[in-house]
Amino acid sequence: MSMHGRVLTSPLRLAAIICFVATFPTPAQSAEPTEGEKLFALRVQPILREKCFGCHSDEADELEGGFDISSRAKMLAGGDGFGDTVVFPGDHELSALMPMISREDVGYEMPPKEADGLTQEEVWAIRDWINDGAPWPSEERVAEIYALYAKGVLVKTSGGQSDQWTNRKYEPENLWAFQPVLREFSHDLDLAKRNPIDIFIEARLESEGIQPAATADRVSLIRRATFDLTGLPPTPSEVKAFVDDARPDREAFAALVDRLLESPHYGEHWARHWLDVVRYADSSGFANDWERPNAWRYRDYVIRAFNTDKPFDLFTLEQLAGDEIQRWVNEKGVSLDDVREVHRLIDEVDPDELVIAAGFLRMGPWEHTGMSVAKVTRQQFLDDITDSVGQVFLAQPLQCCRCHDHKFDPIPTRDYYSIQSVFATTQFAERKTQWLSDENREGMKEDERQHQMRVQANEAMMRDLAKVQREFEAKWFADRNLPYKTKAEAKKAGVDPEQLPHKSLKSAADFGRERIGRKWRTRFRWELDRYQPYAFSVYTGKTPAARSQQSRFVMPTNPMAKGNLEKTVILPGGDPFAKGDPVKPGVLSAVPGGLEFELPESPHGRRLALAKWIVDPNNSLTSRVIANRIWTYHFGRGIAGTPNNFGATGKKPTHPELLDWLAGEMVRNDWSIKNLHRRIMNSDAYQRSTRHQDVKQLDQLDPKRESYAVFLPRRLEAEEIRDSMLFVTDEWNPAVGGISVRPDMNLEAALQPRMIMGTFAPSYVPSPRPEDRNRRTIYAHRIRGHRLPFMETFNQPGSETSCELRDQSNITPQVFAMLNGEEANDRALALAHRVIQETQTSDRRLDRMQVVRRLFELVYSRLPTERESQLTLDHWQTMAERQAEIHPQKRVWPTEVIREAVDENTGEPFQFTEQLFVYKEYVPDLQPDQVDAVTRGLADICLALLNSNEFIYVY
Amino acid sequence: MSQPLRRDFLYGLGASLGSVAFSAMLADSARADDDDLKGSGRNQEPHFPNAKAKHCIFLYMEGGPSHIDTFDPKPKLSDLHLQEFQRSGVEQSAMSSGTRYYVESPFQFAKHGESGADMCHLWKNLAGVADELCFYRGCQVESVNHPTANYHINTGNQFGGDPSIGAWVNYGLGSENQDLPGFIVLPELAYPQGGAANWSNGYLPTALQGTPLRSQGSPILDIQPPAGVTREHQRQNLDFLQALNQEHLRSHPEHDDLTARMKNYELAFRMQMEVPKTLQIDDESQATLDRYGVGVEPTDNFARRCLLARKLVEKGVRFVQVYASTWDSHDYLAKAHGALIPTVDQPIAALIGDLRDRGLLDETLIVWMGEFGRTPDNGIRGGGQAYGRDHNPDAMTIWMAGGGCNAGHTIGATDEIGGQAVENVHHVRDFHITLLRLLGLDDNKLTYFHAGRFKQLSQFGGEVIEDLIA
Repeated sequence: MSMHGRVLTSPLRLAAIICFVATFPTPAQSAEPTEGEKLFALRVQPILREKCFGCHSDEADELEGGFDISSRAKMLAGGDGFGDTVVFPGDHELSALMPMISREDVGYEMPPKEADGLTQEEVWAIRDWINDGAPWPSEERVAEIYALYAKGVLVKTSGGQSDQWTNRKYEPENLWAFQPVLREFSHDLDLAKRNPIDIFIEARLESEGIQPAATADRVSLIRRATFDLTGLPPTPSEVKAFVDDARPDREAFAALVDRLLESPHYGEHWARHWLDVVRYADSSGFANDWERPNAWRYRDYVIRAFNTDKPFDLFTLEQLAGDEIQRWVNEKGVSLDDVREVHRLIDEVDPDELVIAAGFLRMGPWEHTGMSVAKVTRQQFLDDITDSVGQVFLAQPLQCCRCHDHKFDPIPTRDYYSIQSVFATTQFAERKTQWLSDENREGMKEDERQHQMRVQANEAMMRDLAKVQREFEAKWFADRNLPYKTKAEAKKAGVDPEQLPHKSLKSAADFGRERIGRKWRTRFRWELDRYQPYAFSVYTGKTPAARSQQSRFVMPTNPMAKGNLEKTVILPGGDPFAKGDPVKPGVLSAVPGGLEFELPESPHGRRLALAKWIVDPNNSLTSRVIANRIWTYHFGRGIAGTPNNFGATGKKPTHPELLDWLAGEMVRNDWSIKNLHRRIMNSDAYQRSTRHQDVKQLDQLDPKRESYAVFLPRRLEAEEIRDSMLFVTDEWNPAVGGISVRPDMNLEAALQPRMIMGTFAPSYVPSPRPEDRNRRTIYAHRIRGHRLPFMETFNQPGSETSCELRDQSNITPQVFAMLNGEEANDRALALAHRVIQETQTSDRRLDRMQVVRRLFELVYSRLPTERESQLTLDHWQTMAERQAEIHPQKRVWPTEVIREAVDENTGEPFQFTEQLFVYKEYVPDLQPDQVDAVTRGLADICLALLNSNEFIYVY
Repeated sequence: MSQPLRRDFLYGLGASLGSVAFSAMLADSARADDDDLKGSGRNQEPHFPNAKAKHCIFLYMEGGPSHIDTFDPKPKLSDLHLQEFQRSGVEQSAMSSGTRYYVESPFQFAKHGESGADMCHLWKNLAGVADELCFYRGCQVESVNHPTANYHINTGNQFGGDPSIGAWVNYGLGSENQDLPGFIVLPELAYPQGGAANWSNGYLPTALQGTPLRSQGSPILDIQPPAGVTREHQRQNLDFLQALNQEHLRSHPEHDDLTARMKNYELAFRMQMEVPKTLQIDDESQATLDRYGVGVEPTDNFARRCLLARKLVEKGVRFVQVYASTWDSHDYLAKAHGALIPTVDQPIAALIGDLRDRGLLDETLIVWMGEFGRTPDNGIRGGGQAYGRDHNPDAMTIWMAGGGCNAGHTIGATDEIGGQAVENVHHVRDFHITLLRLLGLDDNKLTYFHAGRFKQLSQFGGEVIEDLIA
């Protein structure tokens, strides 16, 4: 397979790897099989193997019901319950098996899991086989019959754990993603004439007799496109410019798309999609949920990658092997002509950025504590990254193959461990780098100053406790006339530690404070790394001895000096302590070219090789996967409906040729994502109205709405809601990048005690300055164990598993958040204030009509109707009168919080007071007591507008 | 007409739109997305109509209570007390390294009730309802870290992200109450390790997630309007909002979600009234308050939540989980467990008795367990005075009451030092299956298609522990 160039290999050569056997049976070597034998080989045995062997063969941990169905003799011998009447050869009616598998025998339905139940056809196959005498030909004979007569396609792989698996055949439609990407199409695709996307879409519309909807109006279009590309609404002047654009619709819209793609906020929005897929968070999860103080640099790397339209192949290489490329670059041990990608990188990228990019490999939740078993946590990482690479880049969830050959897809467990072997020399490190010139370091000093207040308070407490301890010890020794002052001194002098006091603290409060102080000291110290140019990254080398992680991982000077050079073996049943066959680094063997693809066995370069295979233009998965993801975010649904799963159990593409054309378009255009946005958004399909002229007909012909006859409305995603509110109030700080900021969190949630290993976590405190808080949500500090309730409520995914597409559920807590929550109410007030300020005439008179017009323009991108104006003015009047009766008090924020717990040393309760320094200098957003009743009345209006469907849905 | 969007688009909080609406919506989404729901479309009928339990109160003893010092006496440990512990095996975690010693229980044990249930002397009240309990000593888990162990007990998956038992039960049985979530969590002030993922809906519809009612401050975040905003004030705003929405609906008749979202606002407005009312325990008689131990120490905190659990079950909430922390007594076991047991003993006994008196015990399954048991051994601490016990995944005690469990029996056994379950041994997945069975649900039928396969609480199936069922 060609690795260097981008010349497309002939599809024919690749297609030959998958051979269609069924159509050309070779003459049988031995006698013609009977119908029963054929049934057994082709239908019955695969059913038994898949549905029964798990409990009724030696595969089972414990044989269920004493019944073994793995050979004819055992089957006929029967089991505990039904004796030898389970199968009666020649007469299905006498066979107790039949009512079980047809699920008529209540309490004995087999297989027990209803969703695994046999289909009618499968039941009939077993019935006919029994009636034909239940023949059970030898293994060789079965293999021969299967090879000759089985329908479906044989796929060559690295081989399963059994011959049967290795030689099994697949329904061709389930292999679509393993077929080479189509390069030639039946349609005439002339880019100059027509957008190929529309050709593919319309072909299906026509064949199904569906009329597409008309083009959406310009206001809808600019809202749709602006939200889609930037996650923000358009400004009124942008709307006006677009609506008034004299150019033809198509041209005006293309110019709009171009403008939006140049916005730095494009990268923020699309990076967020990617971060959903890779499970970005600023903490490790699990018991300690340690902060990952440098993870933000990876987040910013992703934002930059989208903004600069980094070719997706490079983006992939860097995330999987940035550190390896960097090493090559540094050591100059690489022929630049040989690896074009590396050549390009040296020209354009700071080598340190490559190290940051490799942070991808550590995005999953992970920790190793004093309670952890090294082998288990290491395996947890290896399993996590293997499955993650499978889902993220290849849309192949590989988890199933951890324990066995894949049940439905041509992925043997050997491939799983071959890919895992690629990561066997990948080790964690927070690596020292330089700051990059385009990293935003604004606010770092300020954040550090605030952080130091916590550090210092904690250190003061620890000093105080040390003093208590010292005094106790001095007195203890003095009372006994011993010549020591401290335990340490006594120990040094050789006193038996058992003769010394066990603990030098006595009160529950002191024990409790000491426990908290020690833990927080560790946390706070580590968190100071936020301000240091470390990269949350990896290196290649031997696996060092595990330690309970309490600080950054330091990169060893010689990564090959100490530790264990891992040799990957297949782990039967996925058990980290099991030992199976050794494997070499490899890739998915069923992907065209995968079987021949060679990876280095040396510790270095494995990931780079894997990455190069992933982005090879002939890899049948990668370009389809990314093209499908892009499409999914534009339309709210994928061409293949499960963007993380292109296997047999995933959804088949609704427009397979279109998907292949888009995949090809990616590759042809240097893997440009922006180019793909342009292609997609400039299609008629994208610009269609959400309303259809004949809904009845559409319901009939396209009930699932997969024809793209209409555009589907969508609800704003969690971050878009918050960002858009900040945008329309003009409170937002549009700065791009930098260390995480802490928006306001519902105060009760922020101060709620949270358990980490051994004690409480420090409270969540917001950034004290509005300009830090009111940044886009992608910059919000993302703690796995303490998420912003607002985000959680609006379906921001947790960062445990990869999220291919967000849910849009409509649940009641969303109403509480938007109607009663501080975030929404603060924004409503700020919006009211803004609009009044902006529309005030020179003599400071209030033109209420003008206010209402401006408000609608900002929130809905349109002016109110007369009816709406009147409604709004009336309600404003009512609420202003109501508000005049309310006298809001100046709000006070707590500057400390008291924690209560039981000390584990004394079993007695203690109290601990945590200082909330931030609130001593907290600058609140505009508060109700700072404005008059008229403004507050307008804030009621604003709150309603921000809650309204028109604001929350995009059309 | 149905929109081909994600399947859980329309639910209110819990099945708050009522079970009829709930199944109707399932049918809606099944129409939109039938591939996804094939085989997983639960109607609201239990799989086993004869099952007694309709509700479950799950008392979660966070931190891992010591079976050896509560319900599983090990006199042998008194003989071995402070002798050096003999262990085998490799790949130990730091917790089991170093020299360790056998540790006897600091508590006295006695047998109670006709069934002769073993309890340490601190269970003064629970002893009075001993015959209502079914003890199980055969359960084993896998993880020795709190968050992963919590996830394992609550969701069947150590690494979190999967649906919790309460979500599954509501998925299977639906809710009986229009205005309350079907799965309510009554946590301690501090959430357990692993946080809200312990009551996650996982890949099930969002509406099935557990709703934590916080024990201090606002029970549900933001359930009350900001200061100064009265109900009339908010109603006026809501009317204005709905008028805007009505206008908008006129221009987008194609969009179903608009009305669903409008309805949700009305439901929320009702809930703001209903939820605080439900949470009040003031209307209970003084005798009831005294019975649970409300208003007195050390029981008040847990007593309030046990009483609330009963009220919620009466209101038709399917699954209530009550947390009690923290049983993680690595040191000073005698003091720590000695202080903890009295905080829960009276409230639990009252809960069982109260439900029985009201004729609700039969239909309410009570489960008491932690995330693992504790070790028979410990390092020497404080000159042998401060000893406690570490985490033990191989042995623990679970007990159940009511809901058709095999009350009055002790099932399974651990070895003579309580280190390992040795009789009627089952992985916790079998306990999950049994719990579902008691609630009339079949783990093999209660499945949901996600990420390429039909998933279930037990992960890959298992078996019912028949001895736990009456």
